[in-house]
Amino acid sequence: MKLAYWPGCVSRGFTPELHGAMAAVAPKLGLELVELDRANCCGAGVIAEHNQELVDALNARTFALAQKVDGAAGMMNICSTCQGAQSECQERLDADAAYRTHINEHLEPEGLEYEKGGAWWNKNFLWLLVEEIGLDVLRERVVRPLDGLRVGPFYGCYIVRPTRRLGFDFYPDRDRYLEQVIEACGAEPVAYAGSHKCCGFPVITLNRETSLRQAGRHMADALDAGADCVVTPCPLCHLNLDLQQPEAQPFVERDLGMPVLHLPQLVGLALGLDVKALGLHRHVVKTDAVQDKVAALAAAA
Amino acid sequence: MPSHDVLVIGAGLAGQRAALAAAEDGASVGILSKVHPVRSHSNAAQGGINAALNPEDSWESHAYDTVKGSDYLGDQDAIEIMCKEAPNEILTLEHLGVTFHRNEEGRLGTRAFGGASAARTYYVADITGQAILHVLYEQLMRHDEVYRYEEFFTTTLVLDDDGHVAGCVARQMRDGTMELFAAKTVILAAGGNGQIYNPTTNALICTGDGIAMAYRIGGPLMDMEMIQYHPTTLAGNGLLITEGARGEGAHLYNAQGERFMENYAPNKLELASRDVVSRAEQTEINEGRGFPDGTVALDITKVPRKRIHEALREIVNVGRDFAGVDITREPIHIKPGNHYTMGGVKTDKDGRTEIPGLYAAGEVACVSVHGGNRLGANSLLDTLVFGRRSGKHAAHHARNHQMPEPPHSHVDDEEAKLRELIGRERNGRRVSEIRTELGRTMDEHVAVFRDEGGLLEAAQTVQRLKEEAKSVAIDDKGNVFNQDLFGAIELGFMLDNAECAIVGALERKESRGAQFRTDYPERNDDEWLKHIDLTLDGDRPNVSYSEVTITQWEPEERKY
Amino acid sequence: MPDYTLKIRRFDPESGRPAYWQEFGVDLPEERSVLDAILRAKDEQDGSLSIRCSCQAAICGSCGVRINGMSRLACNTKLSEAAEDGRNGAIVVEPMGNMPVIKDLIVDMDAVHWKKVQRVVPWLLPEGDPPAREYIVDPESMIDVTQSMACIHCGACVSACLSLEVDPEFIGPAALAKAYRFVGDPRDAHTEDRLLDLAEDPHGIYDCTHCFACVEVCPKDVAPMDQIMRLRRRATADYGIKDQNNGYGHEKAFTDLIEKYGTLSEAQLLPKSYGDGSLIRAQVKPAALKELGAKFPTVIRGLTSGKVSPKTALLHHKLQDQDQIRRIYEEVESKEDRLELNLYIVGESGGEEEGATSEGGQEE
Repeated sequence: MKLAYWPGCVSRGFTPELHGAMAAVAPKLGLELVELDRANCCGAGVIAEHNQELVDALNARTFALAQKVDGAAGMMNICSTCQGAQSECQERLDADAAYRTHINEHLEPEGLEYEKGGAWWNKNFLWLLVEEIGLDVLRERVVRPLDGLRVGPFYGCYIVRPTRRLGFDFYPDRDRYLEQVIEACGAEPVAYAGSHKCCGFPVITLNRETSLRQAGRHMADALDAGADCVVTPCPLCHLNLDLQQPEAQPFVERDLGMPVLHLPQLVGLALGLDVKALGLHRHVVKTDAVQDKVAALAAAA
Repeated sequence: MPSHDVLVIGAGLAGQRAALAAAEDGASVGILSKVHPVRSHSNAAQGGINAALNPEDSWESHAYDTVKGSDYLGDQDAIEIMCKEAPNEILTLEHLGVTFHRNEEGRLGTRAFGGASAARTYYVADITGQAILHVLYEQLMRHDEVYRYEEFFTTTLVLDDDGHVAGCVARQMRDGTMELFAAKTVILAAGGNGQIYNPTTNALICTGDGIAMAYRIGGPLMDMEMIQYHPTTLAGNGLLITEGARGEGAHLYNAQGERFMENYAPNKLELASRDVVSRAEQTEINEGRGFPDGTVALDITKVPRKRIHEALREIVNVGRDFAGVDITREPIHIKPGNHYTMGGVKTDKDGRTEIPGLYAAGEVACVSVHGGNRLGANSLLDTLVFGRRSGKHAAHHARNHQMPEPPHSHVDDEEAKLRELIGRERNGRRVSEIRTELGRTMDEHVAVFRDEGGLLEAAQTVQRLKEEAKSVAIDDKGNVFNQDLFGAIELGFMLDNAECAIVGALERKESRGAQFRTDYPERNDDEWLKHIDLTLDGDRPNVSYSEVTITQWEPEERKY
Repeated sequence: MPDYTLKIRRFDPESGRPAYWQEFGVDLPEERSVLDAILRAKDEQDGSLSIRCSCQAAICGSCGVRINGMSRLACNTKLSEAAEDGRNGAIVVEPMGNMPVIKDLIVDMDAVHWKKVQRVVPWLLPEGDPPAREYIVDPESMIDVTQSMACIHCGACVSACLSLEVDPEFIGPAALAKAYRFVGDPRDAHTEDRLLDLAEDPHGIYDCTHCFACVEVCPKDVAPMDQIMRLRRRATADYGIKDQNNGYGHEKAFTDLIEKYGTLSEAQLLPKSYGDGSLIRAQVKPAALKELGAKFPTVIRGLTSGKVSPKTALLHHKLQDQDQIRRIYEEVESKEDRLELNLYIVGESGGEEEGATSEGGQEE
């Protein structure tokens, strides 16, 4: 499947292991990724706070670039925040023809135009896995079922709310996909209070305490529920849950040490990819325990 | 003991408006409500509020429409006041912050409403009541000289030895403490009694508490038989679809696809007054031209989609959530349903009842500006104009009056009654059973069409239910939010209301406004152009009559 | 008639017992509401079961509860839908979150919700005496604030708010939406004061984590978070309010970086944020230095874990065609008025439906 691929800013900045993992996983799933290297930041909700027209024009530009990729089935992103921020703009662009025409005028000098939805879509890797590739295909391709690995899902707000904007009318299970993917990978999904809550990242520079309390509490809940690690389709969540985890510990007054995997890393492990290739060594919270379990599985097989 | 110059019972539009007016006049004011003020049923008024504010319109035209709508039972002096003061009331609300709809020039815009000869209904989408209620509550939050007693359930009014009002006894719902309030004046603003019907558009709190409490201390009630059935309510649960829908252009059809209003009101069609439209619908249904679920169809799809979105958003939600119908795409099944009580505690133009110091305003009261049938979008106006006038008058009255000191025995008596109720062993019916039977009985016999046989049957049933109510027992024995207890007290209030409505309906041997007697199908001005007053005598209402005030509009045949 | 099981969280403050679960079986048609079922149980089985309720039509806002974990109104939640979402066939009903429970499903709204509403100076403050007639205002501005006026104060958003969960001092979604109702009202004369107040409060508009929980649960489409974002836009883009919470700085730094590079450079975002968008000012503001100091271990950790290379941290590449991004910025930002499309006004399929374009509904 050929896809226009928007990796987002963070996967090429502070979480390069995500970008690498996705690149490694794609061929295993038969995905041909055409990276949108001219596309711009989604605004992450911040530019929307500044100027709505601006963020709509910027994302319309990304969509227009994606629509120009010949033979692409659609556009894929690997970041919950990109998904949410882009869906928000797309909702406005699709709602009103006059507004869409107006926004498209900003793209005209570049010869670009966003055409309303129809069959065209923009999906996070998580949605793509379940809806376009299919869990059965994923299961077939799993060469190293992650037996006994207990994984807590962590979605990221932007990919689960608001449901009306995010296509839950057609795909009501989108808030259960992570559990399904974890299972398809042979691992065991762990239920805990924080799985669909906010990681706190959007206010890390605005209200550090609120932000880190959230991150800390969720990781503590996952720990208490017996998770070996959590997995997230959102690199911004990853920043707050992994990179900031040592900072979050004082706010929950305990040691956490909860590894946080990117979704393509988890899938990659099940597809038999090497931990190094997936960048598991490039985390702040050590992933040794996960790596050991996987190594033990490999040895047993 | 909390004491106030003016004590307002009920915190919907009438109560809040009264409280603000009294406070503005320098009175110390307390406002009590059994629910948080923004939960009040004024919320449910969707369509708007009438006022002849446009230069092309006139208060006389508004007053004439109201008089005609009332089927000439409204008191014309009071109606004149209401219509004259309406424009200022709207402007006051606008200045306080109500987000009224604007026209292209940015001025207040109107919509059409039933029974009106001009488009004079001002509105906020279809949440007009809510918007005004919340803005008034903003003012209550701002003015801390109005003391709020939120979630206090009033059980009885208190008189002094001279028969002047002296306060009330109320139970703080949160902890069950009983409190005696001293007050120089009391304004009843406790709303209507729709819950005596099942189904009804009215909220669960509309149990006629104020009407019953005034009646129990000797205050006369008036025109209690005048109970409005709204033409567009949902079949199953009685939920309201605003008249604004028809105001925006929606049509009514019977099951054969006929726009039947052409036969009943060839000029005004769907925008005839409510009693006329409800009777037309009920006739269609009774004569077999309705749908099998006992309804006719309201077709809103005629209204442009963007306009629906802008002006009728709430009923889109009601259709979707409560009937599973997308009203922007298909007609919705509706029928007439209990909605409003024109009758109530008899008052004059300043809200004064016949008990010194006791006032009433809003649906609890009968001034009477609505007579036999209230026009859509006149109820909010009634609450505001007469709420304000009551508040002002009460504040003045209080100035020349000493603070009463009601004896504590009032609380002890009430407490003893409630203790007995709480401690009662279960051997009778449940409150809910009696309430349900009451509601069904009223909806069957005291509805759009009435006759002596049905009314007598209803009267008998209500007598039996009153007996049964004496032995109801409750499950909740606690002090904190004992809703079970409040339910039992409300049941008593409701039965008094129902009894009076039936007595009035039996008494009035003619058809006028909402009262249509199939055994007396004509309006009879010679004998019945008069109010029916009911006063408690023993444990039964005693009937007397009072004159209808006519200033400039002599009764004539009513055509729409 | 289907048989539904309600599993209700009960609490009797007078019993000395902790909260407990109780199940009730109720026979009702599937289109009836969860409130109908609760009232049926109360009427027929246990009169002490307590819930605030009144209108049964989603307008009075009394019956906010959590149903299967979701904050919502009991009266507009259909039994069939609730049963579908329920675990093990039971419909789980609990009191709302983030507020103390008084009894059963009744929570203390005064202690949390109304206190916060009072905090935002919730009344109109026009300048001077009112006009002889009405204030003349843009018709769309009234529809715009009617979205926040549509709030019925049910508390669902307060209950669901993920910021309040960790910071009880947060002013919260309902009260901030109420604040927008005045900020967005052209009749109010204290727009800037209000914005300054809410921007400077450490628990104000910048304490919202942008989680959409309030948008998701609101039964009246108020979309409280959208109103908070509008407050932020007004504060920064319209009034340039430089707050102590770094809201302005963060937004400015972020927006500027995208203008410059097209994609985000996290390494530059942090220091620039604390200097109101300027790297230089960040070096000389004492408060900024302190904040940066607190962040320093994070950056070092990023480097030492091999997560971030020094090159990534220090250099950021401009996008190909960056001039196009800058042009778009220039076109949009040079306008006098910001353009916003409010879907509450035009509808989710506003301009796409026949007869619904701007001519469609604007005539009086």
